[in-house]
Amino acid sequence: MSEEFEPNIVGFACNWCSYAGADLAGTSRMKYPPNIRIIRVMCSGRVSPSFVLKAFQMGADGVLITGCHPGDCHYIAGNLKCEKTMETTRKLIDVLGIGEERLRLEWVSASEGSKFADVVTDFTNHIRGLGPILGKSQG
Amino acid sequence: MLRKSHFNIRKFIYDTFDKDAAKVVFEREGIWDCTTCSACLKKCPKGVDTTGIVMGLRSLMVEDGRIPPPIRDALKSIAIHKNPWKISAEERSKWAEGLGVKNISEGADILYYVGCTPAYDARLQKVARAIVEILNRAGVDFGILGNEEGCCGSEIRRMGDVWTFEYLAEENIEIFKKYNVKKIVTTSPHCYNTFKNEYKGANFEVQHYTELVASLIEEGRLSFTHQIDKTVTYHDPCFLGKQNGIFDPPRKVLTSIPGIKLVEMDRARERSLCCEGGGGRMWVESEDSEDRLAKIRVGEAMDVGAQILATSCPFCLLTLEDVVKTGDLEESIKVMDIAELVKEAL
Amino acid sequence: METAEIRIGVYICHCGINIASTVDVDRVRDSISQLPNVIVSRDFKYMCSDPGQELVRRDIKEKGLNRIVVASCSPRMHEPTFRMTIQQAGLNPYCLEMANIREQCSWVHEDREYATAKAVKLVSAAVAKVSLLEPLEEKEVEVRPEALVIGGGIAGIQASLDIADAGFKVYLVEREPSIGGHMAQLDKTFPTLDCSACILTPRMVEVERHPNIELLSYSEVIDVSGYIGNFHVKVRKKPRYIAMDKCTGCGMCAEACRMKGKIISEFDVGMGKRSVPYIPFPYAVPSKYTIDPENCLFITKGKCGKSPACKDACSSDAIDFEQKEEIVELDVGTIVVATGFDLFDAREKPEYGYGLYDNVLSGLEFERLVSSSGPTQGKIVIDDKEPRDVVFVQCVGSRDKSVGNEYCSRVCCMYTAKQAHLIHEKLPDAKLTVFYIDIRAFGKGYEEFYDRVREEGVRYIRGNVSEIIKKGDRLLVMAEDTLLGEPVDIEADLVVLATGIVPRKDVKEVGNLLKISRSPDGFFLESHPKMRPVDTATDGIYLAGCAQGPKDIPDTVAQAKGAASSAMTKMARGKVKVEVTTASVDTFVCRGCGRCVEVCEYGAPNLEEVEPGIFVSQINDSICKGCGACSVVCPSGAISMKHFKNEQILSQIAAVI
Ligand SMILES: Cc1cc2nc3c(=O)[nH]c(=O)nc-3n(C[C@H](O)[C@H](O)[C@H](O)COP(=O)(O)OP(=O)(O)OC[C@H]3O[C@@H](n4cnc5c(N)ncnc54)[C@H](O)[C@@H]3O)c2cc1C
Ligand code: SF4
Ligand code: SF4
Ligand code: SF4
Ligand code: SF4
Ligand code: FES
Repeated sequence: MSEEFEPNIVGFACNWCSYAGADLAGTSRMKYPPNIRIIRVMCSGRVSPSFVLKAFQMGADGVLITGCHPGDCHYIAGNLKCEKTMETTRKLIDVLGIGEERLRLEWVSASEGSKFADVVTDFTNHIRGLGPILGKSQG
Repeated sequence: MLRKSHFNIRKFIYDTFDKDAAKVVFEREGIWDCTTCSACLKKCPKGVDTTGIVMGLRSLMVEDGRIPPPIRDALKSIAIHKNPWKISAEERSKWAEGLGVKNISEGADILYYVGCTPAYDARLQKVARAIVEILNRAGVDFGILGNEEGCCGSEIRRMGDVWTFEYLAEENIEIFKKYNVKKIVTTSPHCYNTFKNEYKGANFEVQHYTELVASLIEEGRLSFTHQIDKTVTYHDPCFLGKQNGIFDPPRKVLTSIPGIKLVEMDRARERSLCCEGGGGRMWVESEDSEDRLAKIRVGEAMDVGAQILATSCPFCLLTLEDVVKTGDLEESIKVMDIAELVKEAL
Repeated sequence: METAEIRIGVYICHCGINIASTVDVDRVRDSISQLPNVIVSRDFKYMCSDPGQELVRRDIKEKGLNRIVVASCSPRMHEPTFRMTIQQAGLNPYCLEMANIREQCSWVHEDREYATAKAVKLVSAAVAKVSLLEPLEEKEVEVRPEALVIGGGIAGIQASLDIADAGFKVYLVEREPSIGGHMAQLDKTFPTLDCSACILTPRMVEVERHPNIELLSYSEVIDVSGYIGNFHVKVRKKPRYIAMDKCTGCGMCAEACRMKGKIISEFDVGMGKRSVPYIPFPYAVPSKYTIDPENCLFITKGKCGKSPACKDACSSDAIDFEQKEEIVELDVGTIVVATGFDLFDAREKPEYGYGLYDNVLSGLEFERLVSSSGPTQGKIVIDDKEPRDVVFVQCVGSRDKSVGNEYCSRVCCMYTAKQAHLIHEKLPDAKLTVFYIDIRAFGKGYEEFYDRVREEGVRYIRGNVSEIIKKGDRLLVMAEDTLLGEPVDIEADLVVLATGIVPRKDVKEVGNLLKISRSPDGFFLESHPKMRPVDTATDGIYLAGCAQGPKDIPDTVAQAKGAASSAMTKMARGKVKVEVTTASVDTFVCRGCGRCVEVCEYGAPNLEEVEPGIFVSQINDSICKGCGACSVVCPSGAISMKHFKNEQILSQIAAVI
């Protein structure tokens, strides 16, 4: 595996808990790899499988979705809905040969800046370890 | 000192937090005293699987070979004869001789699963024969497994030998499949319970015989010609009542018999008191020196003026009757199985 | 969609050195200026400062910009600021997008090269999205100055009085013939031992007299539609068979009734008897009689002697068997739900013998027994005898998975202590024992009260009672003292079960009616357990009292005041802003599958029959919160989320990679 491989990671963060958690990582000056680019959505339940597929199609190597902890979703249960949707999405991307490990869903609260940084670091390293998606160039 | 036994499930549970569980069971007294009646399990507000823990701890002892001799003998007997009573498998269907009971291999709607104790114990054979007579009278199409019937494993499991239990369960399921059994009726609530709740991958319907008889009466397929003018009380077997919620069918059968006056003991239905015959306690003697609960139970039946203490479980019948015999109470009260009462009234 | 040309202005903030030290701002500015439709791309030291904002406003005017991107700190920080800025310059506030290059870039990365590259991507994504953004109109709906309060226990009474005192009209709907709820049944109240009736009656009377409160007693809400500001409510007034305007409350009908003294009194929880025409208790409000239709001979059999005795006895000719139920329609701006609780039915714990033995009582039955207005005038007698040994059993039906109630009922520890004290006061020689699992005496003055009761000689034994059986004509209570690890047997002539608080039997129906959800314990769910404890997920509907979970009177009153104030805040302004970034359905694409209706937590989408047999979803944007769940499940892609449209998000995805 080449040393220079720097993955592209797309992040979706819900506005209320996890986007705030990401902000807190910033205000606390925690450090994590720059590979992730976060797109803000109102709720993790807004993330449609088509967003995930689009990301991989455009060349992302990993997709990280973060939402509020169960019970904390601003819209009652959007996070649980997301969990369900992503279960099937994960199967789908596996079938497509992308590999289910490249999609991760995590709960991050507004007070968990350090968890956010840890999750991003861990996920980035994981994807880096996986290397580029095989046959991506054909896709 | 506890009410009756040193057995205290909480102590076992707390001790295993930071001590090796095997050590705890070996050191503490009372692990064989639990009858697995599940009174505590049903009441536990925190949903602790108490009886499961008792069985698990016992299995540690079995694994280590530290089992009381009577249990070892029972286990050995099951391995050799497929019953815990140390009698040859060849004699299993002797009780049915002359009754003209069909073998299930000839095909039948229902398999009557007799069980070890009714098959071998002279007292219980009467109950098995009564059930056959009742089913014949109602024109039920049933058969038995004959000498091919083997122990259901319920008691073995409760004595801690999960391995033999699993082996028996697999073997029995194979046999049931071989004869395409769709519905089983049992004499004993213990067999009933284990078939219904502990046989994994089984796809047959199970009924306790009191349920079947109650529905036969309801459908008008059974009617009575004799009167039994007696005051009767009913002892709910733990494995039928508390554990499986079957309270009404036995009572329905009793009250359908002409002449019977059914009186209830204070501890009836969910409140019933265990007779202390379950959980392997037919084989192991308790470490406590107190009277068996059965004695209290017979006393309670007499207090409500019962002339007959009826039950519907082989173990209850034996333990309760034992109290009546050894206590010289035969003049005042008689212990009978519901099937025997039904047969008498036919 | 594009009617006018998109003209974008991009502003990159240095944030002093907070951004500029890690991100090469000049490079970002230059690469962004290459993007299509970007008319100006600038950097500035502090974008949020007045000169920074002025820069944007001037460019909008001078360069005809119609979309703005600010790349700076988190939008959670300054989005409102910049929305206002562009609005001042005549742009729609929703034509703004922010790129978070501080919290999510310069502050978390160290490598200038990488951070700059990332910033370029983030700003490009914002540019991509902003080109597709559409102006949105902020909406406000009017809030009617009337409130509906459902349930007239202490929670509903308190909420009604507060709202009415603030000058708003209140409709208080109570299902029973009288308001008062459970508090009316209590004798004294812990920990101060005030007499319950003495503190409750004045409030009930106030409700009756209040010019702003319209009490609809013996009534039920049967339908609720609409949304905050404008709920339309239907209430069924059950027939009392006694004309309210004529009845003087004299009670002659009850005296005369042929069934007098034969009907079980609900108020005395089965411990006393009443007549068919009845008021639940002497100080009931309204103090008018009601004929109990289930037990009246005339109503059930069509005949009562030669002629109904009640009718003959009533000197004001109030009895009216012709009365029919009446449906009242109300329009209200806000709703307070205060439907209270039911008592746990101790028959579900057969080991305690409740329902089997007359001397095993529930906590509420005991309240009636000690009450001087109760069936024994407050004398503690069981079978005409004073009990010598009394046992209390706590946590009956609470903290108990075997009956499906895992929660603590929060009042029974204290009411047990209170009841033990009341017996001690009346029968100082009685031996009193309390079995408990833990003691929860958490309120103000509660632990002190508990200590006082123990000092009075009440014996507290830690351990759950395993069974209660008969022993002669007494009871034998069996348990393990778990502190000593020893069994205890106690004989008793009276056992009082500290029965817990459970959700109302009809909580599901009421929940469906109002479209409010329930928590796993079965009670109504608040919007946030800490920050929004009286709100529901539905705007304009608030919770008070035990309807939301077990609580004592002080907490109930506090929550009722909270619910009232929330309702009043909305009504006082007379208007509320509703969510702008809501969902909308393309009715030509919608195939009427109803999945959005299923998934929405708020009941915003509705299937409407547009042509016979053809249904399309319609989303009420006064109810929609904009979570987006429906747009994800919609199989036809008919639902789009304003400000978070699929194509907007997809364009961001494409830009960040
Ligand atoms: C035995 C016992 C003793 C207690 N002792 C004390 C004490 O000493 N001190 C203390 O602080 N707390 C005590 N409590 C707690 C106290 O009773 C409660 O905190 C209080 O009653 C809660 O009031 P509420 O208005 O929320 O509910 P409730 O009193 O239950 O009132 C609800 C009202 O809503 C009505 N209603 C229900 N559903 C509908 C519907 N669908 N439509 C219209 N109306 C409806 C009901 O008829 C009722 O009038 C005790 C509780 C019990 C059980
Ligand atoms: S099963 Fe019976 S004996 Fe065993 S712990 Fe439970 S209650 Fe006790
Ligand atoms: S009609 Fe008869 S039963 Fe009915 S309230 Fe009047 S007197 Fe009583
Ligand atoms: S308040 Fe006390 S008695 Fe009531 S459930 Fe909680 S711990 Fe049990
Ligand atoms: S966006 Fe959310 S709140 Fe709005 S209709 Fe869809 S599911 Fe309901
Ligand atoms: S708002 Fe954060 S997951 Fe729904």
